[in-house]
Amino acid sequence: MATPSESDRTEQIITLFLHKALHAVLASRIPHLHLSAPRPASASARDRWFHLALGDLPAQIGHHGAVMDPLVVDILLTPRGDTDDPTGSPEAVVERWTAQCVPPSPWSAAAPHHPHDGSWHRKTYKKSIILLRSLYALLRLLPAHRIFRLLCSSSQPYNYDLSYRISSFVAPFSRAEEAELKQYSFAPVETLFGQLVVSVQHRPSLANFNLEVSSIPPMIITDYVGSPAADPMRPFPSSLPERVSRPIMHQYPPTGIRTSAAPSFDRPHSWNSTPLAHHPLSSASGAPVSEIGFLLPDHYGHLVPNQRPMGERKGSSGYNELKLSPPLSTSASPSPPTRGGDSPQSRFHLETAPVSIPTGKSQHRSPNLSDPFKSLLPPPSPRSTRADPYCQESPLRSRSFRKSEGSNLGDVCSNVHIYAAHKGHKDGRDDSGRFSALSSGGSPRYGFSRSSSRLSIQDDLDDGDFSYPFAVDDVDTSDSQARSFDGKEAPEDTLSHKSPEYGSSHKSQEAEVGILVHMLKTAAPLRQGQGSLLSSESNAEVSMSSSVMSRKTCDALEELQSYKELKNLLLSKSKSGSLDSVKQRRE
Amino acid sequence: MNCQTCQLKELVVVPTEIQDVLRCILHTIIFHRALGLVRPQDVECEHFEITYVHCGDHEIEKKIDEKIDQFVGWVEKHPNRKGQVCLSFYEVKNKHATWFGNKIERLYWEQWYINLHVLNPKSHGKSHYTKAPVSTGENASEESSSRHAALESSLHEVLFQIIRFANEKKTTFQLYKTLRLYHFHMRSQLQVHQTPLLVGMLMCLRGCCRLDILPCSVDYKIMQAINYFSEPGLYSVVNEAEEKGHFVH
Repeated sequence: MATPSESDRTEQIITLFLHKALHAVLASRIPHLHLSAPRPASASARDRWFHLALGDLPAQIGHHGAVMDPLVVDILLTPRGDTDDPTGSPEAVVERWTAQCVPPSPWSAAAPHHPHDGSWHRKTYKKSIILLRSLYALLRLLPAHRIFRLLCSSSQPYNYDLSYRISSFVAPFSRAEEAELKQYSFAPVETLFGQLVVSVQHRPSLANFNLEVSSIPPMIITDYVGSPAADPMRPFPSSLPERVSRPIMHQYPPTGIRTSAAPSFDRPHSWNSTPLAHHPLSSASGAPVSEIGFLLPDHYGHLVPNQRPMGERKGSSGYNELKLSPPLSTSASPSPPTRGGDSPQSRFHLETAPVSIPTGKSQHRSPNLSDPFKSLLPPPSPRSTRADPYCQESPLRSRSFRKSEGSNLGDVCSNVHIYAAHKGHKDGRDDSGRFSALSSGGSPRYGFSRSSSRLSIQDDLDDGDFSYPFAVDDVDTSDSQARSFDGKEAPEDTLSHKSPEYGSSHKSQEAEVGILVHMLKTAAPLRQGQGSLLSSESNAEVSMSSSVMSRKTCDALEELQSYKELKNLLLSKSKSGSLDSVKQRRE
Repeated sequence: MNCQTCQLKELVVVPTEIQDVLRCILHTIIFHRALGLVRPQDVECEHFEITYVHCGDHEIEKKIDEKIDQFVGWVEKHPNRKGQVCLSFYEVKNKHATWFGNKIERLYWEQWYINLHVLNPKSHGKSHYTKAPVSTGENASEESSSRHAALESSLHEVLFQIIRFANEKKTTFQLYKTLRLYHFHMRSQLQVHQTPLLVGMLMCLRGCCRLDILPCSVDYKIMQAINYFSEPGLYSVVNEAEEKGHFVH
């Protein structure tokens, strides 16, 4: 008769053997359990049982039945994909591992001989060691192990996945199923309570399962900005499977478009004002399309209207607000935006881009001569219609009001800026005249208009003045004096609007740069004069924009310093001249 | 106790496959018979879609590789021969002091015979065994692939055979695990004209995992065994486990 300790030990051995067997099976069949269970360098006390260190299984996985309850582990090959597809194959049991302690039949004549020396559990334990070794080795020889290795090693999902089912009592296989299976049973281990039996029913071949890389499309990055080579005007697909398109939170916080299901709205294409119009997740109110243009990377633009309230619709309001914000580009990559077909962009283009160097004074007369102070005033409101005339004007004509403006000082300063902007240019001509025009009275207006809009050559090209960024400019650059010293606004005004003038990248920035370079090359030399003011320099705005774009701040500052000195000199001379006149009067 | 012998199914191999086949078989056997805590390591065969298990002992792995290399070397010198690798587990029983030294009694309790038929694919003309002309070109590649597939299937069967035998003979192993020491050695035989030639032996003392490269002389290894046996600190891993209270957790 076995001692209580013998029974306890045997029960403990059987329980832990079943747990270990379960561990060996799952670790060799279930990829996520295999990968997520790192084997520690030193085996724990529990892991050292049966002299087979396998690591630890998750605590919730184990044999939780009674010691005499069988352990049945089904290894299932589950098709991955649309579970709602009725034509898909159901999951299939590829292996069924059964481990249990079978009590001796009461009617068996040959009862096992149990020694009373307390060594029974030791023998059970030692034999269990070998049984586990055999189980472990056999797991690697069965066909399912090949699939397990494939799933573990491949980074791509397959159309099938291995899963498991643990139970104590399962329905036996049907005859048809059993006919497809092969069975292997290990030699039983005698225990105090009966025979510890481990067996497996497995499919001899899994060739019927066409294991291949899953045809389910990978997860779509819905906020992908795209590349220059991509079609920026391509609308979002209207039938994205929900399972596939998993919204991804990108780095830019959603700044105005809030849909519960689509944080991917936050990074639309800058060149597509309605990128998500066709998106199935767009709400009934629709995505505020114009707001998409406002969702900026921080390094783009200085005014990021990301406080835009939600639900604000696209349209002229959005466009008008855009006027106050710098050139917007939602693209983090230097992808050249193509033309947007929507009006806000076109408006920007019309407003902003004096891309040609005016040929002469008379060519670029603005109809706004009657309002010489317009250039000094910023657009009163985002909804101002002041931009509209500009939109209609040719950029060449927008500078005509400059004749009435300017002072020596302002002109000198403007010359400074313009010259500095042009410093890097290799053209040997004196561009002072041209640059001064940029800082003329017209420039603030232009600057403001450009600040409220975006520097873009798109509409200029559309207007027919320039069909190509590098097209030949027809501006006459001979009369540069007429274009210089045309502004009264302080350099700061010019500078303050410098940045807004840099275009929104409605069209390619490269095109803009090309046009400006061309302008600089063909521009008339800037003439340094002390009193000659050219009231109207139609190319002043254009060259200012180009000079401002091209010059560097350090160069500008250097030139500013030099012209300040010149200014001081002139002032001193004028003062001395005035003093002389006073003295003469006194005399 | 009678020695349990297992004759494994003969495998037809080419020299390039010998290492893979022998490693697979030997490690599978040793994995079943290794004492002490084993951290199993899965190893993929180089030439076959088969995964076998290492017991995780680097010394054993090293020694097995050495003996396999020796066997491969001998095969190259004697191509187109049938070879046999014998892995024996024995117990060093008693030391009988004699006038000429200490006599060690070996008690073999299990022996595994790995039978290989080594083909030399480079041989031209008629094969020594098949009596058929060696084909060339596309037929050769087809034959090679079919032979390779057959070998893989046979190797599978051999591994099943090992598992079955090792599991069925638990009693024997269990019995010998109670002994203080057990050894195994590997003996390679090349049947040259049906004359077995002992080429070497490998002995392992599973307590301290001390392995030794054996010269061709059996007597020399016996002397080595004596030295091993006399070294202090050799003890049964099983007894050690019991002393440490493996049964109490």
